[in-house]
Amino acid sequence: MEFQSYKKVGSVEECVSALKQIEGGVVLLAGGTDVLVKAREGHRYADKTVVDIYGIPELCGISETETELVIGAGTTHAQIAGSPLVRWQAGVLADACRTVGSPQIRNHATIGGNIANASPAADSLAALAVLEAEIEVNHLGEIRRMPLEDAIEKPYRTTLGDRDLITRVIVKKIPHGSRCNFYKLGRRNALSISRMTIATLLNTDEAGKVTTFHMTMGATFPKPMLFDDIDQMLIGKIPSEADIDAVAEALSNKIPQIAGIRPSTVYKQPVCRKMVKRILTQMLGGNEHE
Amino acid sequence: MSKIPLNFRLNGKDVSIEVDPGRRMLDVLREDLGLTGTKEGCAVGECGACTVVLNGEAVASCLVLAGQMDGAEIYTIEGMSETQIGRILQDCFVEGDAVQCGFCTPGFIMSAYALLKKNPHPTREQIREAVAGNVCRCTGYVPIVSAIEKAGEKLPD
Repeated sequence: MEFQSYKKVGSVEECVSALKQIEGGVVLLAGGTDVLVKAREGHRYADKTVVDIYGIPELCGISETETELVIGAGTTHAQIAGSPLVRWQAGVLADACRTVGSPQIRNHATIGGNIANASPAADSLAALAVLEAEIEVNHLGEIRRMPLEDAIEKPYRTTLGDRDLITRVIVKKIPHGSRCNFYKLGRRNALSISRMTIATLLNTDEAGKVTTFHMTMGATFPKPMLFDDIDQMLIGKIPSEADIDAVAEALSNKIPQIAGIRPSTVYKQPVCRKMVKRILTQMLGGNEHE
Repeated sequence: MSKIPLNFRLNGKDVSIEVDPGRRMLDVLREDLGLTGTKEGCAVGECGACTVVLNGEAVASCLVLAGQMDGAEIYTIEGMSETQIGRILQDCFVEGDAVQCGFCTPGFIMSAYALLKKNPHPTREQIREAVAGNVCRCTGYVPIVSAIEKAGEKLPD
């Protein structure tokens, strides 16, 4: 990998002071599974300083508050997929992280890196969207929290600067009794880039009326998005087949509305309709997740 | 660029070297340390030929920067004959015709080693999942999965 200089840091404090001192452009390197691939394209990082944040203890691990799960940005996809806490409190994210790349990638690539890379096909993003994820960012010692949607501007572009260190990813715990689902459409099981993902979170009361509903797609829109109009469609209802069809239609209509008519649209829209129908029918059929 | 010192354990032995920080772990292993058992296939983390075990986890050494080896415990194919799991895997791969051209074999063995270390008696499904990041163009995978399954049967509880 070609770069100007290399600095390994062992703590957030050390990272912040390095970011203050370094002159010129910086690349924050966590697992590095995206950066090392991109580095093969010409001299992309030739004038940059690589700040290696891999393994900083404060950035690794998962904890909980009453209402939220707090995931260190340096936590790997394998650790998230294997965490009983995530499985129990935010199962859709565990499922999404389990489909990322291959075991070798999941063992090294981090959730913070997945966000910073901002690939529209990143598997974690749709799951993070339905969990209303926020990120905590440390900018030269100043800490701020922002919704994930605001952190990603468009494919491969975040609103963060090169001195902004993502320290935590915070997701809402799913309401007790909720069901969630993560669907990935790829060309093969391992190592496939998602053509489409669908993340769903749904809760019903004792009468079967929907109390919580979030459903969105990944690898389809330029950034992770939730749609209030879609999410309101089932609230308060005991969904009929017609209600489910209406959600399928409305969500598939978002594809040309937001991404524009692309060569893949004629393919994605029917897949979206069919899968939304299948997922919701299954979820409402009482197949509780885990 | 000035070199950086690296101290790590490789195949059970302490190693201290100085390397160019721009190198990948794969280059350090193959070129600086002469351990050419780890293969370079695609160089973008999709084929698994360069798989090694870093702190107990299978990783693609083409996507690990040299500096990330510092302080780590690393196993490569060269260290496998020193381990019980490695020896059993080797026997089972040979007996089960799980090797044809052999280029992918070190990567498969390392993914299998990481699996068996954590889960000595995996199911076929768990094996398939553990080697899902390794590509083989010769065998059709069945003999490889069977060899790993056999190794799991031979391992003590």
